[in-house]
Amino acid sequence: MRRVAIVGIGNGKFGIRKDASLRELAFEPVKECLDDAGISLGDVDSMVTGIASDEFSLAFQPSAQIHDYLGFNPKPNFRVEGACASGSMAVRTGWLTVASGIADVVLVVAAEKMNEVNTGVATEILGRAGDSTWEYPFGTSFPGYYAMIASAHMDRHGTTEEQLAMVAVKNHHYGMMNPLAHIQKEVSLEMVLNSFVVAHPLKLYDCCLISDGAAAIILASEEKAKEISKKPVWITGLGCGTDTLGLNERRDLTTLEGTVFAANQAYKMAGVTPDDIDVACVHDCFTIGEICAYEDLGFCKKGEGGKMIEEKQTYLDGKIPVNVDGGLKSKGHPIGATGVSMSVEIVKQLREEAGKRQVKGAETGLSHNIAGSGQAVAVHIYQRD
Amino acid sequence: MEFKDFSRSINHTKLDKFADYLASGKIMGTTCKKCGSRYYPPRADCKKCFSDGMDWVELKGRGKLITFTSINVPPDYFDVGFKNLTPPFSKARYTACPIGILRLDNGLSIMGWIPGIALKEISVGLELVAVPVTLPDGTVTIKLCD
Ligand SMILES: CC(C)(COP(=O)(O)OP(=O)(O)OC[C@H]1O[C@@H](n2cnc3c(N)ncnc32)[C@H](O)[C@@H]1OP(=O)(O)O)[C@@H](O)C(=O)NCCC(=O)NCCS
Ligand SMILES: [Zn+2]
Repeated sequence: MRRVAIVGIGNGKFGIRKDASLRELAFEPVKECLDDAGISLGDVDSMVTGIASDEFSLAFQPSAQIHDYLGFNPKPNFRVEGACASGSMAVRTGWLTVASGIADVVLVVAAEKMNEVNTGVATEILGRAGDSTWEYPFGTSFPGYYAMIASAHMDRHGTTEEQLAMVAVKNHHYGMMNPLAHIQKEVSLEMVLNSFVVAHPLKLYDCCLISDGAAAIILASEEKAKEISKKPVWITGLGCGTDTLGLNERRDLTTLEGTVFAANQAYKMAGVTPDDIDVACVHDCFTIGEICAYEDLGFCKKGEGGKMIEEKQTYLDGKIPVNVDGGLKSKGHPIGATGVSMSVEIVKQLREEAGKRQVKGAETGLSHNIAGSGQAVAVHIYQRD
Repeated sequence: MEFKDFSRSINHTKLDKFADYLASGKIMGTTCKKCGSRYYPPRADCKKCFSDGMDWVELKGRGKLITFTSINVPPDYFDVGFKNLTPPFSKARYTACPIGILRLDNGLSIMGWIPGIALKEISVGLELVAVPVTLPDGTVTIKLCD
């Protein structure tokens, strides 16, 4: 298979975007990433669109809205769906399209407009990401699934509510440095601990946001990448894993086996180990998710994720900086767009264009994107020349 | 009894009888006729040996809570859809009722409402028993009790 590089990046403003429709949101980062690559849409052979939900889009084929709005027809475009990991699954599909030789230059765009509906309806739509036959009857919500993972983690590994809160404090801190972030606000440990309980033990500040937004990247073959870009970032490892639909069938509620599986595949393919990762974007849809990610990605041992945040090992000057773009927690989580936005951030870091939140000398990056409560997971490894 | 009287959203499965069993006071799982694998939630097809022959089996006995939560921001349906229900749902408007997953000795796990115990009294490891309930509106669900 051919080597594949990211040669253009774009990320729209995340937030409650009452000013734009889905297709208009998608247009923003597409324009930006074409400009960044210094090419035009005419140079793009094929397109992949990541969108999680028809119910948020209020449309049956939202990807058609986007290629139509860009004027990409009649060239190829289709939608890839992987719930909250739709973005990373779209990147994976774009990578395959280039690596296989089907196309030389591919545009991957991902978008979600969640605020077309209110919080109750959004909670309803997201709740059905679990088992809509056997869990839904018990009023399960997305925060509820992660709350059950948190309760088990706290019991099994002694993780504390304070440690969960520390993840929120960190990610809000870095979100302050990201002008694209949905919320730019420092929060203190006390604020997090005293905030409204959404699903026990998770509180408002333990939860990601309901956001609108879009992100896009251009992928190119080695030959094209060298032509187009002075600073190509190579996707050198890809992993994908899955887990049971219902939480009740998990062997260990505190381990997302899909993450472990995907990470091992990606590390092996790239020929790296967790120690080689200089910067990571992980799926912190809830603070417990980031703690599980540290453990399941091998950044620390199982059960030591709480300690890792307590020791600030995932801050900019720590052992491995994680979510220094603010994460889903503060940057926001327009579900389908998130995975592509993670790729954008890692490319910025590896090109040393991340400004105040730059990880000095970062050469190898990782993104980790989860569908639902672990039902599907994508891990990508990125390296610069 | 319609399956939807349990599921609240999905209309049909090959396991529609699950709701009738609940109404008659039984929580049923399935066992594969060929390889003996046991399932809860019940399945019509075996994922171990791919046989489609299953027997219903009643799940009884106590178990240990492996996790729990209490959801204060409910899905829309549970917020306003349930107008006439008494506990585990509140009457006028949904008030949070804890839920949890009970692991039985045979390794199977059952999700249920925990209406009878205050949240601060609930912890992982608590011994409970899963029982079917028929709500005043005739629909069925499962609760976990002392
Ligand atoms: C936690 C949650 C229920 C809060 O929603 P809500 O109750 O409707 O909150 P509102 O929109 O009324 O916002 C109230 C305030 O809290 C802030 N806020 C909302 N969600 C927030 C969050 N997750 N973190 C921090 N602040 C938040 C808002 O900005 C607003 O602040 P303001 O009063 O200064 O304007 C919602 O954000 C949520 O469901 N998040 C999880 C989404 C999810 O499950 N995604 C999929 C996961 S992969
Ligand atoms: Zn079998």
